[in-house]
Amino acid sequence: MLDDRTRTSVEIFDPRGVVDLESSPLADRKNTLSGLRLGILDNSKWNANKLLRGAAAALSDQIAFASVNYYVKTHGFSTDAPPEMISQIASENDIVLTAIGDCGSCCSCCIRDAIALEDLGLPTAPIITTEFVNETRLTRAAVGMPGLRPVVIDHPVSSITAEEVATRVAVIAAQAQEVWVGTRGDI
Amino acid sequence: MNMSSTLEAGPASVDTSVDLVEHYFEKGWTDGLPVVPPTREKIDAVVAVLGGTPDHIECKIPPRWGALTREVLAINMVMAGCKPEYAPVVRAAMLALTDRQCNLNGVQATTHMASPLIMVNGPVAAKIGMNGGANAFGSGNRANATIGRAIRLIMLNVGGGRAPDLDKCTLGNPAKYSYAICEHEAASPFAPYHVEQGYAADTSTVFALAAEAPHSVTDHQCNAPEGILDTIASAMSTIASNTSVLSGHCALALGLEHARTIAKHGWTRHDIKSYLWLHSGNLFSAHSRDHRYGTVYNRNLPKWYKRGPDDRIPIVEGPDRIHLFVIGGDAGRFSAFIPGWGHMSTPVIRPVEDTAIGSADDCADGLCKL
Repeated sequence: MLDDRTRTSVEIFDPRGVVDLESSPLADRKNTLSGLRLGILDNSKWNANKLLRGAAAALSDQIAFASVNYYVKTHGFSTDAPPEMISQIASENDIVLTAIGDCGSCCSCCIRDAIALEDLGLPTAPIITTEFVNETRLTRAAVGMPGLRPVVIDHPVSSITAEEVATRVAVIAAQAQEVWVGTRGDI
Repeated sequence: MNMSSTLEAGPASVDTSVDLVEHYFEKGWTDGLPVVPPTREKIDAVVAVLGGTPDHIECKIPPRWGALTREVLAINMVMAGCKPEYAPVVRAAMLALTDRQCNLNGVQATTHMASPLIMVNGPVAAKIGMNGGANAFGSGNRANATIGRAIRLIMLNVGGGRAPDLDKCTLGNPAKYSYAICEHEAASPFAPYHVEQGYAADTSTVFALAAEAPHSVTDHQCNAPEGILDTIASAMSTIASNTSVLSGHCALALGLEHARTIAKHGWTRHDIKSYLWLHSGNLFSAHSRDHRYGTVYNRNLPKWYKRGPDDRIPIVEGPDRIHLFVIGGDAGRFSAFIPGWGHMSTPVIRPVEDTAIGSADDCADGLCKL
């Protein structure tokens, strides 16, 4: 070993640890939405139900879904949906809409739920707000599905008026269809 | 595509003329304070305490899901200023935090200011010199300060929980530098926390709770349990804390003078927690703001709560969700209430020396990927 008088370099130790992850492809997109079963996953955050029920009604005006099935996260908006709930949604639906990623942990978990559902073959549109676009980019990369496409609506959501909900519902109805058929551009 | 390729490690060595403290700052690997530049000798000393091979993955840290190997754990501990003998406590804390029910992913990402509070019980605390006495939450004790700091550095570096990217915290919290203490078992008039939870007194444990900072409770007046606990219940009963809005778990750091007065009257831990649970909380009319801003139900509170205007909404679902521990100096009639993050995270207690539970090999629920 060199002593301090003759050493010319000193070792640097990276404290970050390795991220070793195979990235996954998106589920196959749908050519047509008519006749499909739409799953709605409500994370129970404030106004998520108003957005989702409004969007489901607006979408149903345009598309003849075979069914619209509603699910609510049991352990709150800042947790991942339990694996058994993800399995149930995957077995009972063809496409999914989930909300709302309007806070740090809600956004992270919405994206992670969406990726879990995409992994099981369901095109999934997670709804986030404008403040959480960058977190969505980082999270989908960290979890290994950089191709995931969210619906993006204006922040905030939890304290908005009925009129502001309606404006956001219209955006959701348009962007969600793009996500499911594969025409939605990147954020 | 293999995501490991996205990690740019940079040169593994630099010229001896480089200021290493500044170099680690420049790399973005600190918590904002200078770190101790790791050396091979110091890292190896930590790994030796942990035992086994340095490349063994203890757990993965969300939301980046970096692999916490023994060596990476050691690097962060050295950077934090830890002694090697702190290693089992830091490892146990990380295993507790990465237990699925703790939901570290959410804790890291949340806009709320929650930070993991680590509370150590059993003989290891005294053995490594932790402080549960005077100024326990404050500065000045190397073990408390650097164990908490190592945990935060791991959350920052391995977990990638840096603001404003994957940590979306709105305000932050001083406890996001370091938040580790031990119970003052030797001075407490009650059984230790971990004994209440079913562990032997000579087993060492760590308890991890996603928590707000301590909220001081001053009561210099009351000389009986009811009065002191009414004052604490007052601190618990705000409608502003996450515990109030989202239920879950909370903690009470009972100061020694308060604890001794209460114990003198023959009250037990169970009596204290039950009294606080029964006499804290708010009317639903306060939660709902009398429905002034629209009809309020609050789906994050338990289904079984009545929601009439005059119904009482407890601060948590039951007395056992108030985690009570005794800390502090001999003088001063103070305690602290510590609200939690909410029902999205369940606190975890685990033995310091048991590495079998929650290890990275246990991927039954898919947590390793998601």
